[in-house]
Amino acid sequence: MSIPLFKTTIKNNWLLLLIFFGVLTMYMTIMISMYNPDDMQAITSMLELFPEEMMNAMGFSGAVTDLTGYLASWLYGLLMFGFPMVYCIILGNKLVAKKVDNGSMAYLLSTPASRTKIIVTQGVYALLSVVLLFAALFGVGVVTSIAMFPDLLDIGAFFKLNVLTMLINMAIIMITFFFSCLFNDTKYSLGFGAGFPILFLLMNMLGGASDKLEILKKLSIYGLQDPVELVHDKDALGLDLFFAGIIALLFLASVLVFRRKRLPL
Amino acid sequence: MIEVKELTMKYPSGKGVFDLNFTVKQGQVMGYLGPNGAGKTTTIRALLGFMNPDIGTARINGMDCWHDAPNIQKSLGYIPGEIAFPDSMNGDEFLRFMHDMRGTKDFALQKQLIEMFEFSPKGKIKKFSKGMKQKLGIVAAFMHNPDVLILDEPTSGLDPLMQNRFVELVLSEKAKGKTILMSSHMFEEVEKTCDNVLIIKDGRIVKQSDVQSLKESQRKGFVLKTTDTHRLVQMLKVSGFEVQSTADDSVEVYVSGSDIDRFIKTAAQSTIVSFSAKSQTLEDIFMQFYSGNSTTLG
Repeated sequence: MSIPLFKTTIKNNWLLLLIFFGVLTMYMTIMISMYNPDDMQAITSMLELFPEEMMNAMGFSGAVTDLTGYLASWLYGLLMFGFPMVYCIILGNKLVAKKVDNGSMAYLLSTPASRTKIIVTQGVYALLSVVLLFAALFGVGVVTSIAMFPDLLDIGAFFKLNVLTMLINMAIIMITFFFSCLFNDTKYSLGFGAGFPILFLLMNMLGGASDKLEILKKLSIYGLQDPVELVHDKDALGLDLFFAGIIALLFLASVLVFRRKRLPL
Repeated sequence: MIEVKELTMKYPSGKGVFDLNFTVKQGQVMGYLGPNGAGKTTTIRALLGFMNPDIGTARINGMDCWHDAPNIQKSLGYIPGEIAFPDSMNGDEFLRFMHDMRGTKDFALQKQLIEMFEFSPKGKIKKFSKGMKQKLGIVAAFMHNPDVLILDEPTSGLDPLMQNRFVELVLSEKAKGKTILMSSHMFEEVEKTCDNVLIIKDGRIVKQSDVQSLKESQRKGFVLKTTDTHRLVQMLKVSGFEVQSTADDSVEVYVSGSDIDRFIKTAAQSTIVSFSAKSQTLEDIFMQFYSGNSTTLG
């Protein structure tokens, strides 16, 4: 870790994080305010207006009636992956490949900071920013729910849901980060760094829409869990550890490829 | 001290540098010259540890440039050929950042350099002119008092006054015993600062020499006017001198250093009306290497 670099990275990227936090906070508060504990019928009948496959693709489920399940289905089925994914793609590319592509990496490397130190610093920022995003969103969810519907949110289950969603998004940012370390050209870094997460998201949606394509969902990094099942008493520790492993592996791989490669600076 | 041994580094395109061997000793300024795309920046990439050599080694102060890059950087100052600063920083923020990254806290030299180049690091780097960015790069490269300096076209974008200041800076650093490798297209600057030059073409070193003997090894040109042009030309040709273009009535002769005496004695046999030396500058010499006539030269 290089503290001066970490400070500079925060300074250059906090606004991006704030924007995504703002957008997701808006969605979350709107979704919570739309919840009506006495009449889930309204939402269920609205759902019936849309084709069932489409609703399944989005991960929406009309069967749940409790607030935690409702949030898991409507918010954590798609939105909490789709929006942070865009954040991950932008940030991952910006942290390494963009600096190599525009040449400013030369200045970082012409200081006593080693390549490993630079990549570890950038990677730690990437991971911590996702942690911060989900910690803040968890806080927003809890506070808004308590203010609007006291006692209806299962905070323990909601926490479990947020931890796993956070880990999945951390794995996604490590995918974009890995390609950012692998390629010298932002064209490829962005292509692969955006391509894989988008592909995973599409696989997850297609797999959800049709039973025949369910295998796609199982192969997608997003489809390994079901947020509704998760909040209804399913243990997530195994999956948490699995994603933590993926994150660690990708981080290690990022450092290794960057250490060994030739930089056209 | 910079030591490059049998350095070969190939790009997938087939270009690169091949079998480079040179040494820059402490207190020496080595000029690194060559046409665009000859491999100057590629060599510098190896020295900075941005790329690992396919064959051979590059060492600075005894440390391997690829494996020990972070240690080397502690005592290295570098001006990139194409300067790109981290985006959205102010000039003074950037200098502060470089100090923090290097762990240096002495700002005296930075202040001195800023004054020397009449530079104000205030404001967004993005809005800086080319010359101002270059000045910022110079300050960042010299402000931590490094032992070794690698300068890739350090004066591009500077006005002539500032180019002279830069020459002064390089000379004073040399006097302090620094090791300097400088790539440049400014012949005057090279002539003023460098003890030795290295000329690279198509990835290979075509000439390695000290500046003084490079100049001395060159043939000198003389322009003569005589009452009987035909006779003089005949006489010189018989004696084996290279006689060229006899426009109007003058004769141009090219003579290598050791033949001067013989040449004057031969020419003295005719009646000379006027005699003048054609001075060949270092630039002429380099140009011949650049354009590929290197085989005809010493």
